[in-house]
Order: sequence, then C-alpha cells, then structure tokens
Amino acid sequence: MALLDVKNLHVEFTTYGGIVHAVRGVDFSVDEGETLAIVGESGCGKSVTVQSIMGLIPMPPGRITQGTAHLRGHDIIQSKVIDGKDIRGNFVGMIFQDPMTSLNPTMTIGAQIAEPLEVHRGYSHRQAMNRAAELLDMVQIPEAAKRARQYPFEFSGGMLQRSMIAMAIACEPSVLIADEPSTALDVTIQAQILDLVKSIQKDTGMAIILITHDLGVVARLADTVSVMYAGEVMEAGSVDDVFYRSAHPYTLGLKEAMPTNQTGRSRQLKPIDGSPPDLFSPPKGCSYAARCPHTMEVCLENNPNAFAMQDGHAAKCWLHHEECEVEAEDLYQA
Amino acid sequence: MSDIGTYSFRRAQVDLDREEISRPSLSYWQDAWYRIRTNRRTLASLFIVVFMVLVAAFGPILWHFDYDTQDLNQTSKPPWASRSMTVIEPYTPWLDRPAVERWSDTGAPADIQAIGFPSIEFVRLTWSPVQGATRYTIYRTIVDPEGGPLGLPLGNVIGESENSYEDRIDLEQRRYWYSVEATFADGTTAASTLPIDVAAAATLAGAIESGWIDADTDLQPGDTLRTPWHPLGTDYLGRDMLARLMKGAQISLFIGIVAPLLFILLGVVYGSFAGFIGGKTDALLMRFADFVVALPFLLFMILFKLVFGIGAGESGILPMLVALVLLSWPAAARLVRGQILQIREEGYIDASRLLGTKTPRLILRHMIPNTMGVILVTFTFAVPSTIFTEAFLSFIGMGVEPPIPSWGSMCNDGRKTMETTPHELIFPAIFISITVLAFNILGDGLRDALDARMRSTE
Amino acid sequence: MAWYTVKRLIQGIITVWFIATATFWAMHEVPGDPFIGEKAVSPEVEANLKARWGLDKPPLEQYWIFMTNMLQGDFGISFAQESRSVNDIILERFPVSAILGILAIVFAGLGGVLYGALTALYRNQWPDVLIILLVIIGISVPSFVFASVGQLILVVINQILGFNVLPVAGWGDISHMLVPALVLGLGTMAFLTRLMRSSMLEIVSADFIRTARSKGVPAAQVFSRHQLRNAVLPVITVLGPSVASITTGGFVVENIFGIPGLGQSFVLAVQQSDYGVIMGTTVFYGAFLVLMVIIVDLLYAWIDPRVRLE
Repeated sequence: MALLDVKNLHVEFTTYGGIVHAVRGVDFSVDEGETLAIVGESGCGKSVTVQSIMGLIPMPPGRITQGTAHLRGHDIIQSKVIDGKDIRGNFVGMIFQDPMTSLNPTMTIGAQIAEPLEVHRGYSHRQAMNRAAELLDMVQIPEAAKRARQYPFEFSGGMLQRSMIAMAIACEPSVLIADEPSTALDVTIQAQILDLVKSIQKDTGMAIILITHDLGVVARLADTVSVMYAGEVMEAGSVDDVFYRSAHPYTLGLKEAMPTNQTGRSRQLKPIDGSPPDLFSPPKGCSYAARCPHTMEVCLENNPNAFAMQDGHAAKCWLHHEECEVEAEDLYQA
Repeated sequence: MSDIGTYSFRRAQVDLDREEISRPSLSYWQDAWYRIRTNRRTLASLFIVVFMVLVAAFGPILWHFDYDTQDLNQTSKPPWASRSMTVIEPYTPWLDRPAVERWSDTGAPADIQAIGFPSIEFVRLTWSPVQGATRYTIYRTIVDPEGGPLGLPLGNVIGESENSYEDRIDLEQRRYWYSVEATFADGTTAASTLPIDVAAAATLAGAIESGWIDADTDLQPGDTLRTPWHPLGTDYLGRDMLARLMKGAQISLFIGIVAPLLFILLGVVYGSFAGFIGGKTDALLMRFADFVVALPFLLFMILFKLVFGIGAGESGILPMLVALVLLSWPAAARLVRGQILQIREEGYIDASRLLGTKTPRLILRHMIPNTMGVILVTFTFAVPSTIFTEAFLSFIGMGVEPPIPSWGSMCNDGRKTMETTPHELIFPAIFISITVLAFNILGDGLRDALDARMRSTE
Repeated sequence: MAWYTVKRLIQGIITVWFIATATFWAMHEVPGDPFIGEKAVSPEVEANLKARWGLDKPPLEQYWIFMTNMLQGDFGISFAQESRSVNDIILERFPVSAILGILAIVFAGLGGVLYGALTALYRNQWPDVLIILLVIIGISVPSFVFASVGQLILVVINQILGFNVLPVAGWGDISHMLVPALVLGLGTMAFLTRLMRSSMLEIVSADFIRTARSKGVPAAQVFSRHQLRNAVLPVITVLGPSVASITTGGFVVENIFGIPGLGQSFVLAVQQSDYGVIMGTTVFYGAFLVLMVIIVDLLYAWIDPRVRLE
C-alpha cells in the first residue's frame, strides 16, 4: 500500500445557494520519495481535496460525504491521530500559497517554527527555538538565530515562504503538502523555493504533494501528475505520459493554453473556450463536454470512468472506449 | 457501465454561448437601494426613523395638549391611572365634629371609621376614645403595618375624649392604612388600624378651572367625571407626556440631524482641502485636527455653553449646535482626507486627467461621488451619537433650558419619581433608545449597501 | 520601543499645551463674573477679589501666569470654596473617579472580550443571539438610564430581601462601587463585544489560523495563542476613546449614585460658576485622557510588533 492513498473522495459545501459538489470522486496516491503534482485551473477543487483530508476546511459548511484516505494504512478521515499523535505537522507538513497572510503576524518566526516541535516532540521552548534557528539555517536564511526572533512583517515574501517550509518540515514529516507554494512569489524566487523543496526531499526522502496550476512547475518537480477539472481527476499518470502522451482533451487544452519557449517554433496560445460547469448542479455527463472539441452524444449523457492505459496512466474520457471511432492516438496530433 | 451501447458515439453539437448574463446591470445607487430594500432590518429601521421624523414634525401641531401646560391636579399620572373622578362639594371646614357616643372597651382606640366620602380632598376619621388616654397620634401608611412600625405620625390630638381627625396632606388616589394610637399617662401606647380607599375627586369649580370639563357641563356632586386622556400619562408638573415627548423629539432630532449635517460639511470641506493641497499645509491642518480631537469633548461642550451664555427665555439649542460643530468636525475631515488621498492615486483619475479633464470637474465627477457613500454612512452613525450627547448634556442640566423638553432632561425629571411612577423615566428612555437603535441599524445597513470594503461580517 | 515612547510623550505634551491654551481662552471669553451675580459687592471689594485671582492683569499676562502655574503642576484656586486649591480638590476627588473608572473599564474590557469571543465561538447559536440582543440594548440605551434603572433595581432587591445587599448610593468600600462601575461600563462593554465579535469572525478564517491547524496545534492553543491575541488588537485600539467615554459617563453615574468624584465636583463647579475648578479640572482631565491614549498606544505597540518597530 502506498504511503498516502486517497480513494473516491467526495467533498460538499452547504451554502445559501445550495450544495456545492466541490470534489467528486478523486483518487490519488503517493509513495515515499515521490512527488505527485495535482494540477488544474482555479476552483477545480485541488486545494479542497488536500485540505479536506487534513481537516482544514471548516465543517460545516464543508463535509466529506464519501471516500477514504489512508496514511501508512491508517484511516485519517475518521481520526487525525495515529499512535496518539496528531498527523498534522507531525507526519504531514503543509505549506500554503500566500506566505504573507499564512503566518501569525504577532508571533516571532522562530516561535512559529518551534510550535510544532513543542506540540509533537515535547521540546522545551528553548530547545525548540534553537532547533528553529537550525531549520531557518537549513532553508538558507542568513543570520538564522537573529532572524528567528523577528516578526513576519520584517521578512520578504521569499523568506517567509522559506520559513513556512522550515515550519512544515520541523518534525520531519513523511508527506509534505505544498499548496501553490510559489504562486505568490516572483519568478526568480519561485525557482529558488522549488529547488529548496527538491533538495530537502532528496535529503529526507519525504513524499511531496504539489498543488499548482503551473505546468512548468510540474515538469520541473513532479514524478506523477493528476489533472483535475470540476472536482474530478481527468487524467493521471507519470509526468512523461501525461505531458507527452496526453490522453484527455482537457490536458491537451491546458498545454495549448500554456506559453512555451521552444526556439524555432511560433504558435498562437489557444485559450479553452467557455467556463467550468456550475458545481451547484454538475452536468450528468462528462463535466468537460461543454468545452471539449471532441464532444460526442455519449459525453453529454454519461460520465465516463477512468480508462486505464499502460504504467498507471489513466484518463476519464469516452474517446478511449472501444466503440469510439476516433482513435486516441489522433489526439496527440491535434 | 453496461448500458454503454445504448449511447451514440457520434459527434455532438455543443453551444458554447448558452451562458448569458441574466442579471441586469445596476448603477451604484440602484444597487445600494436594492440592498437596502432587501434587508429587512435596515428597512424596518428606516421606517422607524421616518416615523420619528414625522412625529417630531407634525405631532406637536396635531396633538391638542401643549408641552408646557401644567395641571397640578394631575401630576405624575401613569397612563393606566383611572380617569374617573367623583365630583364633590367645595371644601368647607369640618365644624360638626361628632360627639363621643361610646368609649372603647378594648384598651385601644376602636371603631375607626371614615366620615363622609374619603377623597383626595380630605379624609375625616372618627373613633371611640379610650379612657385614660392623654393624646391620640394618627399615622398613615401605604402598606398594612400589621402591628409593626407605623413610621412618622401624621398628627396629634390631645385630650382623653378626642375622637376625630381630618387628613388633607398630599392625598393620592389609593388605599391607605390609618392607625390611631392612644398614649396613656404612664407612657404606654395602644393602636388600631383601618384601611381606607381614597377616591379621586374634584370640585366642579376645580374641574372647570383645570379645563377638564366645559363650564356649562351639568354635573352634580356625587356624579363621576372623566379627566382628559393622557395616553402616556403626565409628568411631575401634570404636563402631558406625549406632548412633551413629541416636542422633545423635535429638539433631539433637530440637534441630532442638523449638527452632524453641519460638522460633516465642515469636515468635508476641511478634509478635502487638506487632501487636495497636500504637502506641508496638509500636515499642518491635520495636526490641528488631531489637537481638536484630543480636547475632552464633554468638558468643552460645557465650557462652550458657558462661553455663549444663555439668557433668560433662550432655549440653549443654538449654543449646543455651535459647540457640537466646533468639536466634532475632525473625524469627518480625517475620513474625507484619507478618501481623497486614496482616490487621487487611482488610475481612473490619471486617465481622466490625461483626457484633459479640468480640476473642478474632476472633483465634481470623481472625487465627490466616490466619497459620498462613506460620508453618508458617517452621517448616519453621527446622528445617534449626537442624540446621545444632547440627551446626556440635558440630563445633567447643561443642555436645553426648561421648559423646553428634551428626552435627556425628561429622563432626569423622571428619575426623581422613578420609584413611584417609573413611566416618567421609562417613556423618554424608550424614545431615546429606539431612535438611537434605529439610526445605528440603518447605519449598519447603509454601510453594507454602500461600501463593500466596509461590509460587516455579521 | 524606547524611541516610540519618547515620540508619543512629546506629542502628548504638545497636545496638553493645546488643551490648556484652548481652555484658558475659552474661559476668558465666558461672560459674567464669579463675584457678581450672587451678591452685590462694592467696587473696592470686587477689585480686591480680582487682584487676588489675577483677573486685573492683561489677558496675555494672565495666560503666562496660568501656563507657568500649570507647568509647575499648580491648577489654581477654587473661586467658590475659598482657600482650597484646585490641586486639593483634584487630589481628593480624582482617586474616587479613577477607581470607579478603572473598575468600569475592567468590566467593559473583560466582558467585551469574553462575550465577543463567546458569540464568535457559538456563531448563530443561542448564546450568540442572546448576547447580540444584549449588545443592541447596550449600545442604544444611554448610561444615565442604565444608572437610574440599576439603582431602581437595587432599591427593589433591597426591599424584597429586607436588608441592603448593596448600598443604593454613597461611597466607601467595594460594595458601593460594584453597581455604579457595572452600569458605567455597560455601554462600552456592548461596543467592545460587537467589535470583538466581528474581529473574531474575521480572524477565524484567516490564513494563519489554517497554518496553525495544519501544524497540529491543539484547538485550545490555536484559539488562545493565534486567534484571541490577534482578535484583541482592534479592541485595544479603541480602549483609548473608551476611557474618554467612560470618564464622560462617570459624570452622571457619580451624580446619580452620590459618589464624591471629580465629575460630581465639576458639575457642581459649573453650577456655581467656579471658574478656577472648571479650568483646573478641564486641563487635568484633558492631560489625563492624553496620557491614557498614550498608554493604550504603548500597550498596542507591545502586543503588535508591527507598530513597535516601524
């Protein structure tokens, strides 16, 4: 069994407007030392997926209606505690999108890094603060001991994100969830942060779940990819399979909407027309049908299952059905 | 999915344009009005405010009682007090006192009874005297003494055979317990008690003089008349509470609305001037505003009142208005200056300027409309706090001069009698509270409607 | 922090100078005279009296004397109670007002934070609804009504029980202070509760709360260390103005409950046209409020590092 294994996860939110079906049957798994990227546009449910597993979405209005999540074989939806310890901060570390608002403005950086050590490891405040300085040093913050006594507003965005990483890895978790870790940072800092995460992974062998809408980041960091759309995983597989042998029209659409810097080739960026479906009442067929260039009558009526291909590569698309006349291979040329 | 075969794999046509914008576009003020209309609390408070303004404007004209006409025979009447009154003969001294018919054999005064009709004009008591008594002391209590302490004596009659007493001291329409206590030569005492219900009564002449009935009304002693209707009772001088409350609404709302209008106007002019000029002038002007804010508000309100001095017959409204304006403008000035500074940096101002818009038009078209919402919200919140200030000053006697009523001074008057007739305190307190509450809720609603950034989390 | 403190103190001193100046010139414009009005006095006596209080000197010189006296901490002499210095009166009266005020602000502050936190914890459940209802009453009912009704209730309770649970008026020990301080603090408490509630609701969905939970910090610690501390910040910023409003409320509460505080003596001084006491008290109160605002600012800076270090 994989280190973290999520199956058929459904999450709903009860709002004044009705029930939002934010996550509708998501599967993924990640192993030690492996990096899984979850990609998709804003609002596709990628953050909700991981935050609901970690118990970070407010319930109510949120609710996990179906599905399982196992960390080392322990059910972590029922209970966030394994062997008497809260998994959060201990077995699973998290970093968030906006480091400016994700740190407590009235606590020193050091105290915030020290907090999980005090909570999970029973460190004294002094021990924990010393360790916090070491961790800051590890994430390449100069004058770490002095910096540990400073407050978030005295740090730059990049340094704050490094501090977040230090905080997330303080208890040497086996899984690091990075929720759009570089989105709020400028490009040069982004690269540094991603390299930092990668090198830490090399040292500790932890698994990383990387949530992003940036395909460049995926290519740089990830081993496997899950492409999410409207609360479902549309395509999953290794980076190579998903990027170079894309099996879902949505993945292709994403790729065409992304700028490249390949020399000698000039092409126009092609946006995906239309907008994602209303998750108050998801369509009964494929949720991408309304925007898909290959829509068939079946797509409007029935939501496809995932069709498995070789090496764990799978796509949720009717084009892979044996009765379909369009050959999946034709897609690559499109 | 075993039933897959029933579906066709033919290409389908999908209309991408089926989404459309169904919401009509609304202007800022249309949108605000829509939000106010759909917020029940805001709407209710708006109705209360409008109602209060109407009451203040037309109430005193329509209501037949005057706010300063006193009726000293009808003081401190709660609204639920009985309006019936018995017509009695004009008072004549009690000359035909009864003779002693029999002596008490119980060792204490016995057979206490009221002679004639016990009314608020007089209560005449008689009793059987006790042999050996040197004097009789008469007590009146409003609860049954049940053999306990009798309190302060009403009066004494000296002599063994005295057997009558007339009480005309501040009688009210209620039940009294009259006790007659005999004191003997050796200093011992013995008492008996009788409860007597005292009726409201008036002589015909008195009733005509008080204006309760017309002079040509045909009423005989013993008949019942009805005193005029005071729906909210009367105050300690017998003035109609409703008339006073409505006049008080005029005063409170006038000050509460006009003062904020003036000081916000002053603040807007000052703040936009400072914000527009900027630089050193701005810094200097705002420093001065800070100083004014630091003045102890209430103490200076009182100081200003002394400075302006109030002559006899003046209401004291104008000095209060001036003092409020002089002390309250900085808040609005700061706010408007902040808004102007912020708006000045907005892209659309630059864009407008690039298109050749002149400064006055810039102010008129962009600055003012964009600060209007904030100013309106500030105004709505300034009204209740000004009403509070006015009430407070009037309560401590530093506000509106009597006999002009204000809700605050009415509360102060009512406080003196609150243990016996709480309505004199409670009605003005309710008027203040409801008005202040309505303006506060209206302010909340307006803020939610006008400014998304200021929207409250409730 | 030290530099910040010095800066605020210098600003405070300038502000107090402005208050004293404004007070002096306002009083100078007051028509009438404390010696006339009550009784007719001969011109010689009047001249003597004026000389005694320096009212015969030109205004600028009076102002100079007034300011130098203030600088030395001398607030002048009472015109009505001869031979008593205003300092004496302040020294006698102010501690009473201060105790009452401190008690009221403690009630208001603790109550506000506690109830505000409760409403946010029990959002839309009955404790929330109940407290919001009380808050609405607290904001809309003037302090003098609270004081009157509070006294009335006390009278009724004492009557029903047949003995004095708490005294209805007067001053002495803690039993005299409880009810006045409570009614004095009610309005402010309501205001602070409302502020605390919206502040808590804003903070509860803040990103850093999610971060704290993602670290596995126990709920109670998230609440106390992360949520409460940040939510209290806006409450502290309004504590300064709250001191002013409680001081103001003290004027009536002292009068209603017969408490011999500075507010009561000020109202009396105004009624007696005792200009010495009016001026002295105004400047003293002004300086006191400025000091309170500075203290609150320093407190705020201590809790919020962003202010301290800028």
